[in-house]
Amino acid sequence: MTALLRYQAAILLRSNRWILPLIAYGVLVFSGAVGGRQAGPPWLSLADGLDWSAAMLIPVVAFLTRSMLTAEPDASRACVAAATSTVRAQLAALLVALGGGLLLAVAGTCFEVLANPAVTGKSAGFLGNVAATVTHPETLTAGLAMTAVCLLVGSAVGALFNPPLLRHPAAAMLATLAAAIFALASDVSPAGAALRHASSAQSQHWPSAVNVLSAACLLAITWSASLFAATRRDTRSASPA
Amino acid sequence: MRLEAVGKRYGVRQPWVVRDVSADVAAGRLIRLQGRNGSGKSTLLRVVAGVTSTSRGRVTGRPPTGYVPERFPGSLPFSGRDYLLHMARLHGLPGDAGRQRVDEWLDRLGATSYAAAPLRDLSKGMCQKVAIAQALLSRPGLLVLDEAWTGLDQAARAALDEAVIERTADGGRVIFVDHDPARLAGRADERWRFDDAGRVQVTRGDAATAPPVTEASRSATESAGVIIELTGVEADSLSRLANLPGVLSAAEIAAPGIASGHGVAAAKTDRADRAGAGPVRALIQVTEPRSDAVLRHVLAWDGVHVVEVRRAGDP
Repeated sequence: MTALLRYQAAILLRSNRWILPLIAYGVLVFSGAVGGRQAGPPWLSLADGLDWSAAMLIPVVAFLTRSMLTAEPDASRACVAAATSTVRAQLAALLVALGGGLLLAVAGTCFEVLANPAVTGKSAGFLGNVAATVTHPETLTAGLAMTAVCLLVGSAVGALFNPPLLRHPAAAMLATLAAAIFALASDVSPAGAALRHASSAQSQHWPSAVNVLSAACLLAITWSASLFAATRRDTRSASPA
Repeated sequence: MRLEAVGKRYGVRQPWVVRDVSADVAAGRLIRLQGRNGSGKSTLLRVVAGVTSTSRGRVTGRPPTGYVPERFPGSLPFSGRDYLLHMARLHGLPGDAGRQRVDEWLDRLGATSYAAAPLRDLSKGMCQKVAIAQALLSRPGLLVLDEAWTGLDQAARAALDEAVIERTADGGRVIFVDHDPARLAGRADERWRFDDAGRVQVTRGDAATAPPVTEASRSATESAGVIIELTGVEADSLSRLANLPGVLSAAEIAAPGIASGHGVAAAKTDRADRAGAGPVRALIQVTEPRSDAVLRHVLAWDGVHVVEVRRAGDP
């Protein structure tokens, strides 16, 4: 499995498929921070900032997952599957995309901690903000839990609406986008429910245990479906682009 | 390895491409799969290689597998060598072991010179060599070749033939499809022929091209053996000679060697400028079925000359 993860990670790095998600996430997180400030004081609080960077993970991780699921041509995937197994080859691709999302999440969280004050409405400079976060760690912890929920939901969306489950490139991309928006906007989605619950709360934005559990279940179900579909992969249908 | 009533269709409403195929694939078998275009050969190969699941029935006891697809598009972001190193790791050959095998196969297939070039810059034939190398790296117990010979140059085709024979000699199973009926003629132990309904008929022996080789006749010819005398062999490549498939022994001999007898088939002679130089004379003993392949291999080495070939029993 280590060799498979290394192989898939090398594909992600060498194919430059990581660049677009990185730029997109950077722009989204940064524009959230700028937009929050322009709305006037009180400035965006750390809790709001963390929610924003978590929410933006959903579309970005969904498309990063799509990149990984379409990176390998069928023929070379077949060689890998013969050497290992179809299920493990697919699992490695999903895991590497999730790992990439995790790195983005870490970067986004660091940015929010530096840029936003943990308590009062006024930014106290980078060091001041970090110090405020250290003295009030529960805001950060709650934000990390929210980030985890969104990461799982983003990966689930990417796995469900892309090859091998949905092979047609245009349909897959539109479905991924629509599903990512739906996951953010609807209370049916664990991430949407958690974010809405958070914005109505006062200080700390904890996702509920139900949100975390259902996000994990959603991931398990969609990944299983993707792994199962990979075992019946068919070269003759529309090839992914 | 066993195929038990294997059936395959691509979707519930799709027709059956492969229907009810049952077969035992014993170790050391070489199997030729035949059928018209679109009869389901590639699909059955994919099922056998474990690349796609069966829709009905099952494949049991499948050993580690090398699979060469019909077309290998070089659209991965690697050089040929880096790709092969990754594949070596996937086949359980990390580090130096993998590197050694990669270099060995690049050399055998004549692909060393462009191994560092990006896969997407390679021609079809070059990509095909990379695809073949990845399947052979780990000396797999099952080798599945889907028209692997197409697009290869003459030397690489011979090298692949040799590799196939080598696998079966090692007890590996090889299943192949090729449109050239002369491919490995007389070597196949079984022929699987597809009919139009997706069923497979199994025939023992390569009846289309040659009489079947029985176990008895095979062991009789193998015990005899052929002796090949070489000049210009670097001392350190003796062990490489000894490791060639079918080579029973390889030893350095004193300078003038065995006096060449009459009726000797000397493929290349070049005694004058080689005598007394750094490289040595060597005698290798080879099993008879492998002697042609070994000769072909040795003839391709720079500086090495074949001075004598004779039967082991002869004086």
